[in-house]
Amino acid sequence: MSIKKEDKRKGNIFTRIILKLLGNERWQHLTIPIFLIFLSFVAASIIIIALGKNPIGAFYNLLQGAGILPKPSYAGYKSMLTDFLSLLNYMTPMIFASLAVAIGLKGGLFNIGVSGQMLLAGFFATIIIGYSGLNWVVAKPLVLVVGVIAGGILGGIIGFLKYKFNINEVVSSIMFNYIVQYVLSFFIHSYYIDPVSRQSKYISDAARLTLVNLELIGLKMDISIGFVIAIILAIVLKIFFDKSRLGFEIKAVGANPKGAKYAGINVGKTMILTMVLSGVFAGLAGVTYYLGYFASIQPKVLPSVGFDGIAVALLGNTNPYGIIGASFIISIIDRGSTYMSSIAGVRKEIASVITGMILLFSACSAYIQYKIRARKDSLAYMAGKELEE
Amino acid sequence: MVDTLIIDGLSFALPLFVMAIGGIYSERSGITNLAIEGLQGFGAFFGALWAVVFSHFFNIPIQKLFYLALFLAMVGGMLFSILHALLCIKFKANQVISGVVINILSMALTVFLTTQINSIVFGAMSDKFQIGTSVRFSIPGLSQIPVLGGAFRNLYPFEIVILVIAILAAYILNKTKFGLRLRACGDNPHSVDAAGVEVSKVQFKAVLISGALSGLGGISFAYSISTNFSPAIYMGYGYLAIAALIFGNWNILPTLGACLLFGFARSGGYILGQILKMPSTFSDLIMTLPYVLTLLLLIFFSKSNRAPRALGEIYDKGKR
Repeated sequence: MSIKKEDKRKGNIFTRIILKLLGNERWQHLTIPIFLIFLSFVAASIIIIALGKNPIGAFYNLLQGAGILPKPSYAGYKSMLTDFLSLLNYMTPMIFASLAVAIGLKGGLFNIGVSGQMLLAGFFATIIIGYSGLNWVVAKPLVLVVGVIAGGILGGIIGFLKYKFNINEVVSSIMFNYIVQYVLSFFIHSYYIDPVSRQSKYISDAARLTLVNLELIGLKMDISIGFVIAIILAIVLKIFFDKSRLGFEIKAVGANPKGAKYAGINVGKTMILTMVLSGVFAGLAGVTYYLGYFASIQPKVLPSVGFDGIAVALLGNTNPYGIIGASFIISIIDRGSTYMSSIAGVRKEIASVITGMILLFSACSAYIQYKIRARKDSLAYMAGKELEE
Repeated sequence: MVDTLIIDGLSFALPLFVMAIGGIYSERSGITNLAIEGLQGFGAFFGALWAVVFSHFFNIPIQKLFYLALFLAMVGGMLFSILHALLCIKFKANQVISGVVINILSMALTVFLTTQINSIVFGAMSDKFQIGTSVRFSIPGLSQIPVLGGAFRNLYPFEIVILVIAILAAYILNKTKFGLRLRACGDNPHSVDAAGVEVSKVQFKAVLISGALSGLGGISFAYSISTNFSPAIYMGYGYLAIAALIFGNWNILPTLGACLLFGFARSGGYILGQILKMPSTFSDLIMTLPYVLTLLLLIFFSKSNRAPRALGEIYDKGKR
């Protein structure tokens, strides 16, 4: 009898461990995402075991491929450092794209059109600056400027349609995704196609935001200028949302548009501004993707980074610092998957399944938080009752 | 010419329509459903998978498995929609986010499983399940009518199935007790609760119905336009269906009109390209027609639209 009571008071071992690990509310913004990633990897392990492969070995290969752990051998001019720098290069557009999604989410808008905005920004930067032959001192900043403008305008249009005509931003941005994808494919095929690669012609190295094959300490490395900008802008964005008036207004409209209206905030204007800002970051993602990580555009394909950004933004809890961490993890999964599939024989497509599962679990994170609090409250209540007795 | 316009237009519009009906069921019950895109893909995957497997191991010609594939696609879509229902109703996740998550997961999972199953079971490196097009038929007599006869010629069997389901769905939604409760859940869930009906159960059923109908739409596309299941099925048809039901103001008959408009815009665009003898690169521009049309129509119709009042809010008993 007494054992049962004891059991009831503290819960069984499993809930006790979970509560111990996730119960501290100060750390929940860190512990819950880590727990979710852990769950996803457990689920992925089950799939890998079902395929008759060793999951631990596969995940080890994943880290090796991403430049986190050393591989047994490297080709000339390559090392773990070059792999790691490539990871950062790959990660840059993802940080920008996720920040774009996060800005929208803070303002209560769901920008699923990041991919289309990326493509548009990348296209204009490519044809205006990438083919211009300008000196790098002028070209590199101009690439950023063109990207920001193109992305911001498309984002702004979506915000305007929502404000003026009450068009759901999800539907309109998806429509724009397809329109941009097909229209640009037409222009690329008609005017800018490279007949050999079936992609747009390569841009000049002067306009590229990644320094490619830079020879340093006997290694050939890719150094991403965009990465530094991404980190700085993430910090700026964090301060913007915490300290500035506009940042507060965006959050207020996102939390409760009616309340914001009564407080004297111009809801329509704020909504449009939110989408412009989100589009600006999507534009930066586009130029660091098409004029950084790549140097050409593949027609009729939307960058999947724009959609992965949704996962990353959710996983990072729309906090810019969280997003940097989450981008790092998702990039490792993406980048390492090729090496993993070649060594461990697990198909590369498992990477997007893992990402998908992380996303699925992170959609429930608010529920997990709520459950933990409810469980803690009920345990505390029962403990208090026992003391009374 | 008019024939192709009607035949191709209908075979595109009707699968879209059945997916939109599913969306109407879900949204009228108060659950936003952007997952239609993923559900139709998963349904098509599930149906195509079993069609390929059965025909491989029992040596049945794949065309004979048509109705089985149709049925299994509905089962597959329904199974996957359980996820959306759980996320939205049980875990109280943001319904828009849940929908997008389901779409991404569905695409990742089906592509992974297709390549994996192809290599393990069939020993082939492919991300497709070839199922071909279904047998087509014409209705004698009616198909002889001039001009409009095209509507009865070269029909896919799924078009008839969809029409029957559509009539049934309209009847259930508008004339039965279940339909009344479902609609009430989307407008005033408290009244449903007060009448002693569990809101979450009605919503769960609505999402499952939407999953099954999306699966049917997906496999219909697989059996007609693409002749296979491949990642190319994620073309945004699910989102077009959502746009259609928004024009249709969440009612079944006007939604049919919107779907027909999309279908004819698409087939009309292709014919226009052929008449003007445009080079093939222009087909990309023609492909944008349904999407541009969607945006334009949304601009004119969104303002006067009235979405179900409690759409997207999860029902909370304690809230007043």
